[in-house]
Amino acid sequence: MPDNDMSPNRFELLYGMLLDAIPSSVLLVDEKLHIVSVNRNFLLKSQRGEARTVGRPLAEVFPTIILENTDIERRIREVFRTGTSVKGQRMTYRAPGVPIRIYYYSILPIPTNQVMLLMEDVTEQVRLSEEVRRVERHLASVVESASDIVLSTDTEGRILTWNSAAEKLSGLSAHEVRGQYFFQFCGSNQQQTVRKVFMLMKSGNESHTTEFPLVTSNGDSILVSWVFSPMKDDYGQTVGAVVVGRDLAERRKLENQLRQSQKLAALGVMAGGIAHEIRNPLAVCYSAAEFLLMDNISTEFRNECSRKIQAGIQKASAIIENLLRFARPSPDTEMVQVDLNTVITDTLDLITNQARVQQIRIQLELEQRLVLVLGVSGLLQQVFMNIFLNAINAMPEGGLLSIVEEISEAEVAVRISDTGMGIQESDLDKIFDPFHTTSPIGKGTGLGLSICYSIVQQHLGSIHVQSSPGQGATLTVRLPLL
Amino acid sequence: MNGPILVVDDEPDMCWVMECILRSQGFEVVTVDSGEEACNQLANRDFFFVFMDAKLPDMDGLDVVRHAHAQRPGTVRVVLVSGYHYHDDPVIRQAIDENLICGFLAKPFTHSDLLKALPTS
Repeated sequence: MPDNDMSPNRFELLYGMLLDAIPSSVLLVDEKLHIVSVNRNFLLKSQRGEARTVGRPLAEVFPTIILENTDIERRIREVFRTGTSVKGQRMTYRAPGVPIRIYYYSILPIPTNQVMLLMEDVTEQVRLSEEVRRVERHLASVVESASDIVLSTDTEGRILTWNSAAEKLSGLSAHEVRGQYFFQFCGSNQQQTVRKVFMLMKSGNESHTTEFPLVTSNGDSILVSWVFSPMKDDYGQTVGAVVVGRDLAERRKLENQLRQSQKLAALGVMAGGIAHEIRNPLAVCYSAAEFLLMDNISTEFRNECSRKIQAGIQKASAIIENLLRFARPSPDTEMVQVDLNTVITDTLDLITNQARVQQIRIQLELEQRLVLVLGVSGLLQQVFMNIFLNAINAMPEGGLLSIVEEISEAEVAVRISDTGMGIQESDLDKIFDPFHTTSPIGKGTGLGLSICYSIVQQHLGSIHVQSSPGQGATLTVRLPLL
Repeated sequence: MNGPILVVDDEPDMCWVMECILRSQGFEVVTVDSGEEACNQLANRDFFFVFMDAKLPDMDGLDVVRHAHAQRPGTVRVVLVSGYHYHDDPVIRQAIDENLICGFLAKPFTHSDLLKALPTS
């Protein structure tokens, strides 16, 4: 019958069930600090039976160490005295034989002249938040320890974080740059490009790779290779950007050293042709001078001898000048407007002798106009020199070296073909790798084409190879036109 | 043996030098500037002596000599003239050992060096 459901007995049962269902520990304590009742959760956590708990003084149920550390008895007395609750205190508790637990507890006065001690086990939450903090600290130290610039921005490109490498390289502290637009620290002619990159990242997923100088606190600029990546939230919305930058100065220095030593190696290959070419005019001068020493020669012959000597010296000197020009390190200057045809013909002048001594004919088809590209002419010359020398080396029995230039809308393609032994298919995808060489030891460093590759890339161009064994090889260099 | 001296060199001024020296000594001189022309000359007439450049635009000088020897064995006496090789160059030694050439003249040379290369007979 319904009345029975509302009997005091029934209430007590429901009260007990509710208390036991609460996933926190609940204790009722009287004024003498004896425990009046506890729920199942408390018994479970403290590993005590109800008989050894209910009716016992608090001091007997809680370990001494907790009583001393938390001063809980005094706090409970305080609640009895003032009627105000104590909320959110932390307590660390280790029951015999179980791992340490961490509780938040509150002491709440209740009208029956008792207090309720509510203890919530937060061990797991504390452990998780400590883990989160540890991961955060780790990530922060990864970013801080990186020798690359790492910074983050909002979607508009305003700087949020700026690591110590960024501080060191730029001379600007995180404090100074926070909230500023990143593009303000880029060279004036890059600002537009950088703003565009941030625009693109708002809607796109791609990273953007580029090279441009960072302006430092003292007005200098250092060349940096940048990667811009959009930062997405769980819904795929761009919430900002991560920008990583690497100081290229050191790499450029090494690259230049490598290019220079490879260039000298190429000079070694040309030595034979150079010797031949210089000794001819020397031989003519030498003989003509000997004629001049003779007594019975006509004025006409004397003049002819003098002219031959002058022409011979001029020829030898021109060869030496060409060599000097090639051997000299290319200054790492800004790229300037360069006529590619001049670069190609100057380079050809240097290798014509080598080609001649190997019975190689040269066929040259250049565009009949200026072919202007943005570049460093010394570096471009090194590219063509390496390709020409490779072609010549591929034709020890002679052959044809053809250089064909073709202009399309936005780029110029230079195809350099030989009629040599060709390249094995297995070597095709390795020929631009550093130190890959099929030449015998001492004949090639395996650096020539890898250097071509890096130089052409620096000029925003591309380089491709086509070949089959016995059919010669064609290398195509493409460069954007100005 | 009779006949003129053949000078083979692709550099016109080298031909001029050798022609001047040899003519001053009363020799008749024919000059050509390619391997192919040299082969033609050697196939069609007798030469007292040949000064052969080692590196010609179309052929290797030694190949021209080999060709001439094959066509008319024992009739050609050659000195190789070159700025490309040196005296004790293995290529030169081998060519002399094989009786392909009777001497080698390095550029540059004195007039007496050139004349000494000529056989006395």
